This record gives sequence, C-alpha cells and structure tokens, in this order.
Amino acid sequence: MFSFLGMMGAFMALPLVFAINAAFKPLDEIFLFPPRVFVRKPTLNNFVDLFTLMSNSWVPFSRYIFNTVFVTLMGIIGHVLIASAAAYPLSKHRFPGREVLFTSVVLALMFSPHVTQIPNYMIMSWIGFIDTYWALIVPAFAFPLGLYLMKQFMEQIPDAILEAAKIDGASEYRIFWTVVMPNVKPAWLTLIILLFQLLWGNHGEGFIYSEQLKSLHYALEQIIFGGFARHGVAAAVALAMMTPPILFFIFAQSRIIETMAASGMKD
Amino acid sequence: MKKGMTLRRRQALLGISFIFPWLCGFVLLFAVPLLQSIRYSFSKLNILPGGGYELESVGLSNFRYAILTDATYNRLLTEAVLDMVINVPLILFFSLFCATLLNQKFRGRSVARALFFLPVILASGAIAQAELAGLINMTGSAQAAEELAESSALFDTLPFTSLLLDLNVPMVVVDYLIGAVNRIYEIITSSGVQILIFLAALQSIPSSMYEVARLEGATSYEIFWKITFPMVSPLILTNVIYTIIDSFTNSPVTETIYNTAFQSLDFGLSASMAWIYTLTVGLLLIGIGYVVSRRVFYYH
Repeated sequence: MFSFLGMMGAFMALPLVFAINAAFKPLDEIFLFPPRVFVRKPTLNNFVDLFTLMSNSWVPFSRYIFNTVFVTLMGIIGHVLIASAAAYPLSKHRFPGREVLFTSVVLALMFSPHVTQIPNYMIMSWIGFIDTYWALIVPAFAFPLGLYLMKQFMEQIPDAILEAAKIDGASEYRIFWTVVMPNVKPAWLTLIILLFQLLWGNHGEGFIYSEQLKSLHYALEQIIFGGFARHGVAAAVALAMMTPPILFFIFAQSRIIETMAASGMKD
Repeated sequence: MKKGMTLRRRQALLGISFIFPWLCGFVLLFAVPLLQSIRYSFSKLNILPGGGYELESVGLSNFRYAILTDATYNRLLTEAVLDMVINVPLILFFSLFCATLLNQKFRGRSVARALFFLPVILASGAIAQAELAGLINMTGSAQAAEELAESSALFDTLPFTSLLLDLNVPMVVVDYLIGAVNRIYEIITSSGVQILIFLAALQSIPSSMYEVARLEGATSYEIFWKITFPMVSPLILTNVIYTIIDSFTNSPVTETIYNTAFQSLDFGLSASMAWIYTLTVGLLLIGIGYVVSRRVFYYH
C-alpha cells in the first residue's frame, strides 16, 4: 500500500522537482534537448533578472504583491464567515424556501461562467465596483461552492448536540460559534485552502484596469510572455508563484485534526 | 426578537438573518446573471453603435440551431457527458483510496498530502502559463507531452487488451479498464480537491469508533467497510457533484460556448448552448443524486 503511495508521490513530485531545477538553470540548459531534470551548473541569474525586472516596473512591485495578498485575505475571511453562516440554517433549520435556495445553489455551481460574464459585468458597473478591489473580493463572498461544502459537512453534526446546547440556554449565535464551527473545522480549513488557491490565481481580468490595482499574477504573466530570452526568468516566476500555495497548503493541512462531532454523543 | 411571534416564525426569521448577507451577494452576482442569460437564450443580441445592446426576441430558434444545425455541438455534448460518466467513478475511487492512505500516520504525511494537491496548484494562472511553455513538464511543451502520452499509452495497452480477452473478460469490462489506464493522468490531476474533501471527512470520524472496533476484533477490511465507508458516504455525494462541476469548467463544450460568445459574438446562441448543457448535466445529477443519497448514511 505505502509503496503504491510512494510511487504516486514520486510521480506527482516530478513536476515540482523539475520546476525547482529549471529555476536555477542557465539559459543554455533550459533549451537543452533532450531536457535534463537536474541542473548541471546552478545559477541565481534567473532570480537576479527577475528582481531587476521587478524594480523596473511602472508601479512599485510591492504594490502587486499587496494587491494579491489583500484580495486573497479579505476574500477568504469574508467567504468563510458568510458561507458558514448561511450553511448553518440551511443544514439544521427548517424554513420555507430552503429547498429552492439550495437547488439554485447547485444550479449556479453548474452553470458555465462564460455566459454570465456580460450580465455580471453590467451589474458590477451598475454597483460601481469596476476597477476597485471590491470587484474581486465581493464575488468571492458569494461564491456558491463554499456554501455547498459547508452545508454538506454541517449536516453530519448530530442534532442531539445542538439540542443539548439549546436546552442549556445557548442562543443561536452562541451555538453557531461554539458548537457548530469548531465541529466542522476540517471543512472550513479545507475551504480556506481551496479559496487561497482560487484567489491567489485570480487575474481580475475584465474588472480591473488601473495598473495600481492589478494582481501579482497579472504582473508576472507579463514577464512570462516576454519571449524566449525571458525563459529563465519565467522559470523563476513559476517557482515563486508555486511556493506560497504549497507552503500554505502544508500549514493549513497540518492544523486539521480530528474533531469531536460524534464522539460527544452518549446514546 | 419580539414576544408575540410563533416559534416557527421566529426560527424562520433567525434562519434568514444568518443567510441574508450571503443571499444578497448570491442574488446579485449569480442569480440575476443567470436569469439574464435565460433571456439571452431566447433572443438575438444586437450591439448598438455607440455602446449598449438591444434584445430581439427569436423564440426557440437558438435552441433549435444548437441541437439540429450546429455541426459540432451535439457531438461534443454527448462526448462530454460520456466522458463524465466514465471519469466520475474512477476519480471517486482513486481519491477515496488516496485519502484513506494519506489519513494514516506516517512520517512526511503533510508533504505527501501537498504532493497530491500539487496538480490543483499547478493548474492555476501564471503557473499554468509556465507549464504551457514547457517549464514544468520535461518534454518541452505540453502539446508534445500529450502526444507522447497518447502514443506510449497505445503502445502499452495492446498486449494488456489481448491478455484480458484471452482470459475471457467481457469486452465491455476490458474497454472500461483500458479507458481507465489511458486516463490515469487525467484522473490523478483532477482528484486533488476530492482527496482534500475526503480527508476532511475522514478526520471528522472519531477515533473512539476505531478503538472500539479494534477491541471487538474487527479486521482492517471490516473497519473500512463498516465504519470508514458509511461515515464518509455523505461526502461521496458531495464529491460526485464537485467532480461533475469540475469537469464542466474545462470541457470542450464550455470552450465552444465561450467561442460562440466571444469570437462569433453570438451571445444568444451561446446562452442557449449553456442552458442545454446545464440542463443535461442537471438531469444526470438528479438521477445520480437520487441513487446515491438513498445509500448515504447519516450518523444521528
């Protein structure tokens, strides 16, 4: 079993190993055919070039970094709070319109995003979100996937725990914060990972025009498209963009520990 | 909360107060565009000189064109649906299997988990661009990699096929197995999120259950089928739906829809194509959901 896991792991790790090596290759080794996985004469030139390019950019490069980090953070916090708050009554309370609401969430999840692009843009411009951070952050708040995921997990919490809390006199807000949320910790940590992934790779194309508001991804993509001479830098960029999500993933995953949802039960 | 309200009304109000912030965003950014696209699908969208557009109602002709006249659309649609039917069970099986393995305690576990999530990370934004440029795959360009994979897969499966046929395995099963082997790359790369969801589900299972089972002398096999499987079964449905949705976002049909809208600038047609696609998959989803949810076990 574990040898299988090891094999798969090695297979999956290959692109990572290759990307790390590519970032340190001098230009002649990048274009070598047949390509080699491991670098022969490692060099930091690619990174030096990257920093030179970065310091020459029109707006200070730190601005791009700030944009992406800000949008990602705000989007994650807002989404997890709002989606879990909405998922709680959807999974644990009966009220009129519940089924309709949930069905429309699934439908919205399935719908091809390209078709709603035009109405979407018009609504954004009607609210005045175009060319602001809000155009990137607010859609992340209402993203249907999180609600869906949180609801599925909350449904697994035994009703008896909630009833016990209610009998002990806890208000609904208190139940939500001290009973429901801790019990679905694996769910929202997973959601955070997914969202980080999603928002980190966000371009904001179509909604953002000012150079000052553009994302790190956008800026770095420009570098990648700079042609053959920029190939080395592009390799460095790929590595730089890959590292934060991977580190974040490892960090968040290691915080997921077994919860007590069902173990608090004494039937 | 006012005193005079009935319990039911009070609960309804409370529920709505929790949902409200989300509902606002949802209605504004998802529901309204969705409804708008229904209108598009029944009309022809004319762009006015000087900005803006007007809608000219054309009835069902967009739908008729998409299904009956368009050269590739219905073929792509059947292909996409068939693909989905084949891929979904494979992805589910693979991701549950990996999640169970990754849930064991061993050294370097978090790194191993990250490795299995790597394809999802690689599939986004600038990294994907770099991948296309051949900086992550060894073979120079993604195109070449795909061609290589195809040719080598064809080469490999021939003896395998004849072996299975010699063993009197029915042709349908052989086809499926070969298909599975050929798709292995696709399946691995698209199960990252599913593995993650299953992992979260596995971690919600209390360890006391396993302890009791061990004390009673259950084997690992029994433990998996009697405890692990029923406990994660609600998330199997979740993952089925997620997988289907995921296969949606980058299928040839979606590409056609996009091209119809932004290259041929036929927004009405593209909206109706999207709705046909959504409805087809929606029906499929309802069918699958019905079958699966009857077997789902909730711990109460």
